[in-house]
Amino acid sequence: MNVLLAIPLIVPLLGAAVTLLLRRTPRSQQIASVLTLSVVVVNAAVLLWQTRDGAIMVSQAGNWPAPLGITLVADPMAALLVLTSSVVLLVVLLYAIGQDIGGLSRATPQIFHPIYLVLTAGVCLSFIAGDLFNLFVGFEIMLTASYALITQAPTRARVRASMIYTVVSLTSSILFLTGIALVYALTGTVNMADISEKLGTAPPELRMVLALLFFVFFGIKAAIVPMHFWLPDSYPVALTRISAIFAALLTKVAVYAIIRTQTLLFLRDDISTVIMVVAIATMIVGILGALVQDDINRVMSFALVSHIGFMIFGLALGTAAALAGVVFYLVHHIVVQATLFMVNGLIRQYVGHTSLRAIRGLTTVSPVLALFFFLPALSLAGLPPMSGFIAKVALFEAGVASGGTLAWTGVAAGVLTSLLTLIAIFRIWTRAFWGTPRPDMVEAKKQLRSGSNLGGLHVMTAMTGVMVGVGLLVAVAAGPLIDVSMTAAEDLVDGRAYITAVLGEEGR
Amino acid sequence: MPTESFETGRPFIAGPGVPDESGGLPEGWEAPRERWLSTVVRPAFGPRSVLLEVVARLLIPAILVLSVFLLVSGHDRPGGGFAGGLVASMAYVLRYIAGGRQELIAGLPLRPNALLSLGMLIGCTAAGLPLLFGSPVLDTAKWELVLPVFGDVKVLSALFFEVGVYLIVVGLVLSVVAALGARMEAEEEEARTEQEQRIARQARRTAQRSDAVRAAESQDTPQPPPMNPGGETR
Repeated sequence: MNVLLAIPLIVPLLGAAVTLLLRRTPRSQQIASVLTLSVVVVNAAVLLWQTRDGAIMVSQAGNWPAPLGITLVADPMAALLVLTSSVVLLVVLLYAIGQDIGGLSRATPQIFHPIYLVLTAGVCLSFIAGDLFNLFVGFEIMLTASYALITQAPTRARVRASMIYTVVSLTSSILFLTGIALVYALTGTVNMADISEKLGTAPPELRMVLALLFFVFFGIKAAIVPMHFWLPDSYPVALTRISAIFAALLTKVAVYAIIRTQTLLFLRDDISTVIMVVAIATMIVGILGALVQDDINRVMSFALVSHIGFMIFGLALGTAAALAGVVFYLVHHIVVQATLFMVNGLIRQYVGHTSLRAIRGLTTVSPVLALFFFLPALSLAGLPPMSGFIAKVALFEAGVASGGTLAWTGVAAGVLTSLLTLIAIFRIWTRAFWGTPRPDMVEAKKQLRSGSNLGGLHVMTAMTGVMVGVGLLVAVAAGPLIDVSMTAAEDLVDGRAYITAVLGEEGR
Repeated sequence: MPTESFETGRPFIAGPGVPDESGGLPEGWEAPRERWLSTVVRPAFGPRSVLLEVVARLLIPAILVLSVFLLVSGHDRPGGGFAGGLVASMAYVLRYIAGGRQELIAGLPLRPNALLSLGMLIGCTAAGLPLLFGSPVLDTAKWELVLPVFGDVKVLSALFFEVGVYLIVVGLVLSVVAALGARMEAEEEEARTEQEQRIARQARRTAQRSDAVRAAESQDTPQPPPMNPGGETR
């Protein structure tokens, strides 16, 4: 139990130290990174297996009892997300290694590997932190690593984007710290289970202000409208491997933190109306933005913003069925976003850019690429039988079941967003994939295929294929996944199991 | 022999009494004639200051000892790996301010990156080791020893974790100093040398031109320029 919860933190940090020492020998550095992430994946799988029936694993670091020390907690939701994230991190790492082998990237691998592993540790810590302060530490580890990653292969555009990104993230971090201080002033503890107990007796107005504050600063990181402006400006310009991980994980970690704090700490009825309105706005504004963009990466970034709205919508409903939908949606969305950004990276390899104005006939240039784009894109839009369909149906069913004007509006907005996503995708499809390819694209492809970088390109394509496969696997394994999500959601709705697991029977 | 190591280009520790062989005149009345720090390169800013160099030399060992004291006393009193690491890195920063980047490089036991990764390895190992004994991460074991001079000594396994933190902090501060101080200083120096060279080149060119003009003039006035005998066609 202790080992399972410690490995996702200790092993990536050890790996980071080793890869930093090995920076002169790229091959051993790559092997060390892959080994590290494989260990994390296996560990996460075991963790999920142990918690699949709703068991909550707790480890008190340093044997300090719960409200005082550092608590690491894994409930089914956290375990599921750690597993999904580590799988995505591993596949994107292999993709990046392929790119480096082929000499197709201007990233500096010596720096990339250690920071990437530190980012892994930050993501894992955010998922399994049992107290607010370690949640903050996890966020900071993740964000500090991301500041360094976003400026890899610096260009004028990247430095500009990273300025926006860093300033916005720091603002949200400062607010987060303020929030923790306020909670501590009110309850005298930072342990989430303990806060949950003690906030019950706090004045409801104060509780509501705190709930809103927590929603705002996690909302900035999750790119919820109207705090989404930074995302489409900063993600698309980063290197592919980095924007894939950012799009897949960073916003989702923030969504996870929103769900965790709003369900465990605050009686969510306090602000559920606000959350619902914001969720609807996020869906609509995000997808309308996606419809008018001229760059595939930017379309995907706006679609990302829009689909965050679905998860927030599920949270606003707050029923067990809705939260189960959210958990499944998180898994689906992490995988699909990573796949789409990896495909965009391949397009960038073939064409040199991702602007819709100058791409035509990608299907002829690379049929495999077209397939790899098409499957996850349909999943994003929510067409059956893809995983997106299952996730959306679960959310809509929960919305209809809970009834009420707002819930129905949310469902309607969700359906509309799905349709608009479909339009956005077919816009990309007709402009970039159909037609006869431009002569310069055919030329570029020949050049790419003839050079010494062919092996690297094969690895990249294979890894994108693996990611598409993982996406299909999410759809195929939807039955067991929904079961786990349901268990996770029941734990979320009824926080008592979590509190008892952390504080122990006598601690209550 | 100090001169030998000086010839091989490796810095050596020199005490008072070793003559300054850097060549050139002292830059001012306060510039030291004897070497106090291990390198004798002109510092980053201003002329060399005897006061700063002497004080730095005297203080650095004391600061390092203090940092180790903070490190080992940190488990139940103020201090710890973080504070100790900061104090230790201040010793190096002082050295850098007194002697410039050559002095910083000469004083480093390891490269900052190596320090960072070493610290991370030690820290993570110390944090993860209790897992092998079935305890949670960061659990501490305690030993009480009776040492001849120190008397009763309590040793906590957390000390190893603190050592890791100490090294990480030193490595981090040093890499910040290396990146933001020494690197920029080197680039600035490069730019300055380039500019000086450009100015020198320009001056030389102007001088040559005026020389040529003067020569032409001096040739002009006494006798007319000789006609081209071959009748070069252009």
